[in-house]
Amino acid sequence: MVWLFYLVLGFNSLDSQAAFSEKAVSRFLASSVLLDEQAIGDTVGLEVVEVFSPSLDKYTYGQQVKTINQEDLRDFQGLGLSELLQQRTGLFLRQYGPGMLASLAIRGTSAGHNAVFWNGLPINSPSLGQTDFSILPVGAFDEVQLHFGSGGALYGTDAIGGAVHLNSKLKFGRGHSLQTDSNFGSFGRWNQELQYTFSNDKISLRTRAYRNIAENDFPFRNLSRPGTPLERQEHAAFQQEGFSQDLAFQIKPNQLISSSFWYNQTERQIQPVMGSNTQDLQEDRNLRWVLDYFNFKENKTWNFKTGLVKDQLNFNASENSTSQFFLIGDLDWSISPVISSKSGIRYTHVQGRLSSYAAEENRIELYQNTNLHLREDLNVSINLRQFIYDGTFAPFTPSLGAEWKIFSQSKNELKLQVNGARSFKIPTLNDRFWEPGGNRDLLPESSWSAELGFSHLFRMENLQVNQQLTHYRMWVDNWIIWLPRGNFWSPENIREVHNKGLEYTLDAIYKMGSWGLEIQGNYNWVRAINQTNTSENDRSIGMQLPYTPIHKFQSLLGVSRGLFQSYINYHFTGSRFVTTDNISQLPDYALWDWGLRMGEWELGAIQGRLGFQINNVFNTSYEVLRLRAMPGRNYQLNIQIRL
Amino acid sequence: MNRLKQLFGKFGMVFLLLFFISACMDDNPPIPLGEFEKGVLIMNEGAFGANDGEVFHYDPSSGEIKANIFESKNGRPFAGLLQDMVAAEGRLYLVANTGKVEIVDPRDFASMGAVSSGLDISRSIVAANEKLYISDWGPYDANFNSPDSYIAVVESLNGGEISQKIPVSSRPEGMFMVGNQLLVACTAGQKLDVISLNTDEKTKSLEVAGRPTGFFEAEGRLYLFARDGENVFFHEINKSSVEVIGTVTVNLPLSTSNFALMGNGEMLIITSTGWPDYNDAIARVSLSNGQVLNASVFTGSGLYGIGFHKDRGEIYVTDNNGFQGNGTVIILNKEGQQQKTFVAGRGPSGFKFN
Repeated sequence: MVWLFYLVLGFNSLDSQAAFSEKAVSRFLASSVLLDEQAIGDTVGLEVVEVFSPSLDKYTYGQQVKTINQEDLRDFQGLGLSELLQQRTGLFLRQYGPGMLASLAIRGTSAGHNAVFWNGLPINSPSLGQTDFSILPVGAFDEVQLHFGSGGALYGTDAIGGAVHLNSKLKFGRGHSLQTDSNFGSFGRWNQELQYTFSNDKISLRTRAYRNIAENDFPFRNLSRPGTPLERQEHAAFQQEGFSQDLAFQIKPNQLISSSFWYNQTERQIQPVMGSNTQDLQEDRNLRWVLDYFNFKENKTWNFKTGLVKDQLNFNASENSTSQFFLIGDLDWSISPVISSKSGIRYTHVQGRLSSYAAEENRIELYQNTNLHLREDLNVSINLRQFIYDGTFAPFTPSLGAEWKIFSQSKNELKLQVNGARSFKIPTLNDRFWEPGGNRDLLPESSWSAELGFSHLFRMENLQVNQQLTHYRMWVDNWIIWLPRGNFWSPENIREVHNKGLEYTLDAIYKMGSWGLEIQGNYNWVRAINQTNTSENDRSIGMQLPYTPIHKFQSLLGVSRGLFQSYINYHFTGSRFVTTDNISQLPDYALWDWGLRMGEWELGAIQGRLGFQINNVFNTSYEVLRLRAMPGRNYQLNIQIRL
Repeated sequence: MNRLKQLFGKFGMVFLLLFFISACMDDNPPIPLGEFEKGVLIMNEGAFGANDGEVFHYDPSSGEIKANIFESKNGRPFAGLLQDMVAAEGRLYLVANTGKVEIVDPRDFASMGAVSSGLDISRSIVAANEKLYISDWGPYDANFNSPDSYIAVVESLNGGEISQKIPVSSRPEGMFMVGNQLLVACTAGQKLDVISLNTDEKTKSLEVAGRPTGFFEAEGRLYLFARDGENVFFHEINKSSVEVIGTVTVNLPLSTSNFALMGNGEMLIITSTGWPDYNDAIARVSLSNGQVLNASVFTGSGLYGIGFHKDRGEIYVTDNNGFQGNGTVIILNKEGQQQKTFVAGRGPSGFKFN
């Protein structure tokens, strides 16, 4: 009932709201101006200025881009991004166990239907077509942004349901700093990160190294054995190490070079499904490097980008590696007060050396993004993209979005957002070349989507409430499914799916003297209905896609006073069908977490933060996917110390 | 009076004797068949990675279907990929290829025990001399081969720990007991291995044509079923010498190892064309001369398991529906005309007709 009350009251992070309400040009220009000021005033001493990076939400009028709270990122230090998204957002991830494969499904799409970027480079594996969110450690990037809805015209392949952006954020003018982040937790969890930063008014450097380990020997009820005994999970240990180096260099007042390098290595014992005794081992090695050159003119910004993404996945003795080389160039141009435009080209060379095949291909993308500031209260984004892979034209992807400020008063602001877009996903290398079964005749998956949203901001002196309600519809066709064909499985463009849903987010902050109250909430209602049967006897038509909960609700209530904040987090995941014919389903589950944060404290030259968290307070037994054990009550202690 | 007593005594004794006999007989009345001892048990393999194998029950006379009978009775999922279902010694053994054997009472499916540790990729089971013999591929090596295959020995008919693993040729599947010898069909090794049940040691390994998968008896003879890309082989085995004494070769390209005996000297075998057409069919062949009597008694896509209901003269075949959802059981008459279809579990793969 309490949560119903929150829902009615209205909830999402203020940071995030700021991120998607303060759109585009103003933000972009502000960054440039800051840079210029910085450049001019380099004798004024150390002024902290954020290093420029292109605004991701500039050409997204009509859609939602949400930025994850910094506090949430700190709570999940060293854990997989999957854990954070599952516990603190309305998104659902198909999780094969703690620290095990976790794939994101936005708006009722499948694992590969979202694009993932690191500092502007697409990092979905070209062979698998997706990202394992469990091996993206929180703490290895500074900012996480979620783009909800079709983003093909903005981002290229895969962004059918949405996109996830992981960004490094450097600052100029901060001097030397040493920081250590530790996260100690139940079941042998110890995440440790060490970072050193140095920046003056021209150079910003940061070096990070981390190691995250977990035994994952949590107790669980083994449903596969007579008497369903309580056992400790075996063969689920997780070990991760990584290193990153970021650099930004202000060459001239109007020129900037920035570069990031990230190596991440994860070794996992693959947690067996209950009833199996598999002893699989997986090693993932991911190397990512990006180099950006920015040239700022009066109303133009040139960006030349190059980069490399190398992924190696060893499953037992099977070695699979892919490489992507990127060359990207674009011009972001404020043509007039009414029109701003970004035109660009992206070239990608892909190489795959998989256990059963080797393949190479070239990809070229041309894109044009345009914003029209038609009136003070009306902004429009028009985006176009053509993607060509291996000589094949992917569907031409246009998008049209608009944001209309219906009214804006001192206390209330109401905005209407509309968007229509096309997106696509090209068949993965495995889809096309896997031996046996790969199908070279596959077409790209393609989608059309439409959405309508309202965003409401209510502000008073000590109260701020942000709400966003979005309704979307999506039509996805040529969806690729692997089916058993004779002695092996083979992919086909067989499925058509119609999705529709509601997304509601709320963020509220109330301050009363030294007390503060924070409420955030997310509710997603998702219908993803299959329109096709794979064969005469198939009964999938008209049914919800498997492992796509119709309801997911998440809410956090925090109370703060001075340095201290205590919060309760709740998330409810509705029942999920196990198969396409919706005959069997997994029960819904609800989990409660409790946490205590101690904000920025100082002790001489030492600064720090502390956090303590109890996850799954009521020790609820649950499965995200059938027969994949998940941990009960567990504890976490976060310590951050800065010099 | 005494005479009366004597008479009573004699009659009494007879009466008591009769009473005793009848009482003894009353103690052993005809036992009514259990719920699942009549009708058809449908073995559903389950989908890879999901461990959702289960058993369904179908009553051909009423048409009633009972789903997930293992979980319904035992309050926990089967949690495995169901590979084989073997009735022996008043028990029903459910073999999961995910490394587990569940042992249930065939009457009501109540759990009687399990072999739940020490197995790798278990395939089939035989009960002999109060012991269980479980064929197992053993762990995969780096190239997904199975060089360490074995027969696991468990000392109790109700399961428990494995006492011994007898190494055999690669990928043992079906087994057959002849006298005190256990015959093992080793698919990848292309061998017929023989194990002495006296010593629990491998005594012989015979090379055979094709990849052998299992044994069957027809008209008093024992055969080993094997196949390659072009042919199916029925290797006849002499039960006393345990030697292959003859082979019937059936020219049936694209056969699978799914077959059913019709009881009239004929066999039904599922064939699959694979890429690019994926046309599956049921072929009917003669056991005696290997002639293909009809290459497509029935055609479909995704045909997976097959059985023949001898009493009703019906062919039962399953469509796995691509493992996306639950599979379908299709009932055909002898001529291959479709009579009925109904929904089974995930990946229905075989039948047991009681």
